[in-house]
Amino acid sequence: MVPRKDKGETDRDLMRRLQRSGDEQALTQLVLRHSGRMLAVAARLLGSRVDAEDAVQRTFFRLHTHAGDYRPEWMVTTWLYRILTNACIDELRRRRVRPEEPLPAAASTAGRAAAGPEARLDLERALAKVPNEARALLVLRYVEGLSYGELARVRGISVNTVKSQLARGKEILKAALTERPRAMRGERG
Amino acid sequence: MTSTMQGTLFDLEGALRDRLRPEPVAAGAGRRIAQGALRRLEQLARIRAEFVVDASARGVVAVRRGRRAEAAGAAARRNAERGREELHEYLDGRRAFFAVPVDLTRLAPFQRRVLEGALQVPFGETTSYSALAARIGCAGAARAVGTALGHNPVPFIVPCHRVLRGDRTLGGYAFGLPMKTDLLALERSTPILEGCTSTRILCRVGCAALARSRPDRRVVFASIEDAGSVGYRPCRLCRPDAA
Repeated sequence: MVPRKDKGETDRDLMRRLQRSGDEQALTQLVLRHSGRMLAVAARLLGSRVDAEDAVQRTFFRLHTHAGDYRPEWMVTTWLYRILTNACIDELRRRRVRPEEPLPAAASTAGRAAAGPEARLDLERALAKVPNEARALLVLRYVEGLSYGELARVRGISVNTVKSQLARGKEILKAALTERPRAMRGERG
Repeated sequence: MTSTMQGTLFDLEGALRDRLRPEPVAAGAGRRIAQGALRRLEQLARIRAEFVVDASARGVVAVRRGRRAEAAGAAARRNAERGREELHEYLDGRRAFFAVPVDLTRLAPFQRRVLEGALQVPFGETTSYSALAARIGCAGAARAVGTALGHNPVPFIVPCHRVLRGDRTLGGYAFGLPMKTDLLALERSTPILEGCTSTRILCRVGCAALARSRPDRRVVFASIEDAGSVGYRPCRLCRPDAA
């Protein structure tokens, strides 16, 4: 999705520079290469663009402050997804602690009249009903196409757990979406 | 392949792929993110470089700008050293609580009460001047509380930056509002619950057991239940389930 045009340096080269000297240019390069896909994942997971941008900024901030934690056996993108999901999951924890701050994705419930024809919105509402762990896996899988192996690595769980969590998440989604059949006829239908 | 209804069955896979396609990202978002992250890094590095920790044998008495003062006695030296280490870990996002003792005995009684009240505001959370006043039994004294916090000799460790106005605007800060914002942002980016991917044990960030695990084997969780749902159990040392 993002072209590698800059001086042919690989992501790992940039990580090495970041680890060695806290190189700010290396950090900027990594942000420019990857922030687009990170934003896409965070927006789907958190249901808010503002929170998504904040989470991505925190991800790169942490990539820098914790550069020493990175090991070269990790693909840099997988490592970034690990940090990003950590940041998003922690944001979800804070929302749980302070429920008076409205949950953007979960703010409305099925009982209310469907606002507009947006099937996308319906899916977001349905997603908000899926428990955090399964939701994170669903988003990483369907927004970014991560493999079961990558998902397992990102969340520190076994491939079998990945599969069972995804299956459970999909069951909940399906139940939420078939409650109102209209939901699946979107702008394309 | 679009999402179509087939009786009660429909193509969930297709719907997910279809509906979760990434939306185009606003132009300039990358630059903005890079600049924001770098600015925060710079600010925290400056705090690290500029501030020194003074301590007595009882605990940390001051975190201030300037040169390091020679601590009187071994216990005071140990406290100062420990305070400095914890402050640096905190600024690096590796510490969600301070364990070093704080010595407020040199302060006037009211200020001491205010600062002891501020110490109770949990990491990553905020309260208001008036709520803090009420908590220390001085309801209505929000302004006096603000003044006492403004002269907090132990910033960062006594978290006066977690106290905001009632309308959630920042209020004041002795070192300028940008620093207050950066500290609150730092605490937002430091998680509380982390699990080790090889032991599948869930700890509070800062737990000694967790510190022994490899840093690339730590995963953040939103709750003990979430962690439990994928096979992680609470640590018996730091007891996240008791917190």
